[in-house]
Amino acid sequence: MSGADRERIFLQNAATAAAGTHSVSDTGDLLAALGRVVAMDAPVYCPGVTSIERAAAALFPNRVSDTAAAAVTVEEVFGAIAETGTLVCSSEGGRAVQAGLLPAHHVAIVRRERIFGTLDDLFAAVAGAPPTNLTLVTGPSRTADIELTLAIGVHGPEKLDIILV
Amino acid sequence: MSPEQTSLAFRENTVRALEDTALRAAMKHATDTFGTKRADAFAPVTDLEALRDRASAIREDVLANLPMYVDRFVASATRAGATVHRAKDASEAREIIAKVLSARGARLIVKGKSMVSEEVDLNSHLEAAGMEVVETDLGEYIIQMEGETPSHIIVPAIHKNRRQVGRLFADRLGVPYSDDPQALTKIARKALREKFLSADAGVSGANFAVADTGSLVLVTNEGNGRMVTTVPPLHVAILSIEKMLPSLTDLPAFLRLLPRSATGQTITSYVSVITGPRKAGDATGAKELHVVLLDNGRTEILAGEARDILKCIRCGACMNVCPVYRTVGGHAYGWTYPGPMGMVLTTLLTGMRKSHPLVDASTLCGACVEVCPVRVPLADLILGLRRRKVDEGFADPRERRGMEAFGKVAASPALFALGQWLAGAFWPVVRALGGKDVAGRMAAPAKTPLRRRLP
Repeated sequence: MSGADRERIFLQNAATAAAGTHSVSDTGDLLAALGRVVAMDAPVYCPGVTSIERAAAALFPNRVSDTAAAAVTVEEVFGAIAETGTLVCSSEGGRAVQAGLLPAHHVAIVRRERIFGTLDDLFAAVAGAPPTNLTLVTGPSRTADIELTLAIGVHGPEKLDIILV
Repeated sequence: MSPEQTSLAFRENTVRALEDTALRAAMKHATDTFGTKRADAFAPVTDLEALRDRASAIREDVLANLPMYVDRFVASATRAGATVHRAKDASEAREIIAKVLSARGARLIVKGKSMVSEEVDLNSHLEAAGMEVVETDLGEYIIQMEGETPSHIIVPAIHKNRRQVGRLFADRLGVPYSDDPQALTKIARKALREKFLSADAGVSGANFAVADTGSLVLVTNEGNGRMVTTVPPLHVAILSIEKMLPSLTDLPAFLRLLPRSATGQTITSYVSVITGPRKAGDATGAKELHVVLLDNGRTEILAGEARDILKCIRCGACMNVCPVYRTVGGHAYGWTYPGPMGMVLTTLLTGMRKSHPLVDASTLCGACVEVCPVRVPLADLILGLRRRKVDEGFADPRERRGMEAFGKVAASPALFALGQWLAGAFWPVVRALGGKDVAGRMAAPAKTPLRRRLP
């Protein structure tokens, strides 16, 4: 699978899983995309650890450090998987994986070169020394526990946006 | 939940289920939907048979070397910082968990969905010790509120319709009545969010345990499993010993099969791989992780001829296609696990004496064998258990005598014709006496037998 194939298949499968998908080429585009998808006055959790996050963080006037108090999380995640349209969140490097769980809106930024082709590719890469928590996220939180009727946003985010940079 | 096993009353349970029209409508809707979704999810998988072979071979290897994999898991999980406990039976598991929780002063426990915790009847034990235990999977939340047990291993409240859930929430939570699943889901989200944030401990199950790394794998959709395992300071996981996989590289085969077989999804919303508690420098994870590995008779099953049932990965596909389960639902089976895998496991775990009517709850049509993603030979296992039922003296001797008599009659054309004439002549009497029982449900014998209508 070429890099372009991985990107195309990932975006297609993520959209099928009901994630919003956005593809940008540089930091300027990224900030413009964030401006479109994030409610600016909302309390935003953006850890500001990676260079991408630091650039993003400056956008939000109402930043909070408690993930439980945030309405939106904006973060760069570990990677993604094309096969299933999945985000890979890792606790490596002191990342708070629950940041993508507690707020109602999760905005995940993924660098293109971090897209794995398949589940096998990801697990081959982490099998030796997995982090404390590795969570695969595919679309928003959902349930079909009542009459097998799909309902979105049970305990995790009701809305998931993915920005590929 | 009710710990009382009612498998011996299977026949009475089924009669009650058959008369419950709401239950039958819910079961038909749910199992039909499951069938369609499952077929759609597998349609694009071109190498399905090879995938099933691979998953089946991994599970067979795990069972062939189970003590070695369990030891390896214990060593790896301990190295990752978890405390691992071995429980030989249900009461030991309950004691261990109650002790861990009460030693840390835990009062409010949030629980993720775990059939093994149902198997050991954990909740009532913790409640008796003065703890508040809150089920957080939406289906489990509904049945806990109703005081019921799960009737399906994946969708615990499959037997309820949206109006029943709406009335339950209105009664118990004091919210306005709604029968919209999305609105009901929002109500549960709000009620449970407070519990997650104030809980002293989370109790979860696990779909798989990885021997090489000591990792627990949880496959979920709602996000409650992630809450339970990462938000409270203490996480206790309970799982049965056969859930081992050798390595994380074995996981993809199961992540491709389990969600497709269970709910017709390509993958679930969330898959969590948890390796030990929070370590220095981590911002995620419970501060303390305890893993309880339950045997509860599995080592004995492993040594017997029904050991292949331990390959099961609990997807529930066998129940969705089973003509018996589809008709009577899960509660009729009278214990934790229903359907084809459930009748086998129940008989083995609780003993023939407490469960022997279950082994007849199958037409041996083989639909379960056809859908099982890891090739558990369910029909063979059920036949084997029927043999054991006879050998152990639990079969009704009248059944054998009746079959022998029928064999003689069927071998003689004259006797067979006489039998047909008698059946027609006495049918009104049989029907009147039978009432609502089996005879009352049977069609009347044909006036002219089929063999005389054929040229």
